[in-house]
Amino acid sequence: MSEALVDALNPALFWEYRQVLLRGLAFNAYVFFSAATVALIVGLAAALLRVNRAWPFRWIGTLHVEVFRNAPDYIMVIWVHFVLPLLLGKLIGQRVEFSPFASAVIALGFVYSGYFAETFRAGIQSIPQGHLDAGRACGMAESTILWRIILPQVVRRMLPEAVNQFVSLFKATTIVSLIAVPDLMYQVSMVTQQEMRPLPLYTGAAVTYFAVIYVVAGSVRGLSERWRNKIYA
Amino acid sequence: MDAIPAIRVVDLRKNFGALEVLRGVSFDVHRGSVVSMIGASGSGKSTLLRCINRLETPSAGEVFIDGEPMGGPVTANGERKERPLSDINRMRRDLGMVFQQFNLWPHMTVIGNVIEAPLRVRRMKRKAAIALAEECLARVHLSEKGTEYPARLSGGQMQRVAIARALAMQPKAMLFDEPTSSLDPELTDEVLTVMRELAADGTTMIVVTHEMAFARDASDRVLFLHNGQIEEEGPPDQVFGAPKSERCRQFLSKKLQ
Ligand SMILES: Nc1ncnc2c1ncn2[C@@H]1O[C@H](COP(=O)(O)OP(=O)(O)O)[C@@H](O)[C@H]1O
Ligand SMILES: [Mg+2]
Repeated sequence: MSEALVDALNPALFWEYRQVLLRGLAFNAYVFFSAATVALIVGLAAALLRVNRAWPFRWIGTLHVEVFRNAPDYIMVIWVHFVLPLLLGKLIGQRVEFSPFASAVIALGFVYSGYFAETFRAGIQSIPQGHLDAGRACGMAESTILWRIILPQVVRRMLPEAVNQFVSLFKATTIVSLIAVPDLMYQVSMVTQQEMRPLPLYTGAAVTYFAVIYVVAGSVRGLSERWRNKIYA
Repeated sequence: MDAIPAIRVVDLRKNFGALEVLRGVSFDVHRGSVVSMIGASGSGKSTLLRCINRLETPSAGEVFIDGEPMGGPVTANGERKERPLSDINRMRRDLGMVFQQFNLWPHMTVIGNVIEAPLRVRRMKRKAAIALAEECLARVHLSEKGTEYPARLSGGQMQRVAIARALAMQPKAMLFDEPTSSLDPELTDEVLTVMRELAADGTTMIVVTHEMAFARDASDRVLFLHNGQIEEEGPPDQVFGAPKSERCRQFLSKKLQ
């Protein structure tokens, strides 16, 4: 085996820097959970607009989905970090700056809200009208019907697809190193600059991401299947 | 006999666009009485029930529940003041509804389905709601099924849970929309038995049904709906024994052969 190949697969250097790198990974998780929260809330709001009876609401919801689903996350991160503050600054006549973390969360949160909106919408529209009629016939308020009858079923239905979207979002968190969010990839490039030995570090990073996604997504899928089976027996 | 009927329907009309589905329907349902509604598919029976609890908004006419107008009180100068939805929701509590497709909430257990509205609408304490739900499940002979999910029940059992769910709101009247029409024939009896027991207990009911035996011997009055109008109406002996309307006679002879 060539020396370069041995070096590329040698985890020793990765292990040596494990604390820095783990801190980076924790930052990925931090960005992920924050962006996922934004994506779920904004996505649900957009989905509710899209199923609204009044067409102007539907139109706004559709616009939201189309814009963010078709925006590359790479460009969105850069745009939110460098362009959006300028625009906002002009608007309020004051210097505006976003921390790299805030930019990353806003950009990824909004991009993925486009996907989640579609998943929510499909889920909401798949609930039989009769379930809602049954609630109304009991005198339930529309908000009770949404929270107690529609959303709990939507969540179960959308879980398999949502897990895939969460996986994509977690992968997408690796690009936040572009704007100096100190995530795993960022740490890897910092260490690389010191050590001048990029290969083992990148291998280590790749293996780490793979292992985390494989284990977490796998367990979530397993748990959600068991939960879903109870009602779709 | 009390003066105020549990449900009074006055000249009810409903259009879907150009389609006139209900064309002036009026009748009373007295407290403790059972009214069966029969008629061909498409004659407007479901629409009539759904207008009574306002799942559909009538185009004209009025429904009174215990004398209170569903559409809103008429002011001194003769204008009707539309009720806000919260008001309609309050009135809907008094009308239990049972659907042809059961419409149980699949993500809740049987007991969860039954306590949901008492908890969220009547704002009962959980303990009291569960005690009430157990009582209602006993009335439909499903005491042992509380922890099951609907997907694991037979159609007849699901429909009985749906009846228990409606009863748990302790409504003044129950509306049944073809409760046995999507059941296999061998499962209809268990549902009809429960409904007969409710009738015997003095429950006020409107029952849309194709079960002529039920209409004939469990109800106090029978309405025959045709093209959005009441074509024939009377006690079951009269409607089944000596219908005045030719259409009603034809409908019954087809059903009873
Ligand atoms: N939401 C609706 N929109 C348009 N047409 C409807 C709607 N609901 C019912 N209809 C029409 O009204 C007529 C009566 O329907 P329905 O009340 O369901 O009759 P039934 O229950 O007696 O079979 C049918 O022609 C049906 O197609
Ligand atoms: Mg019908």
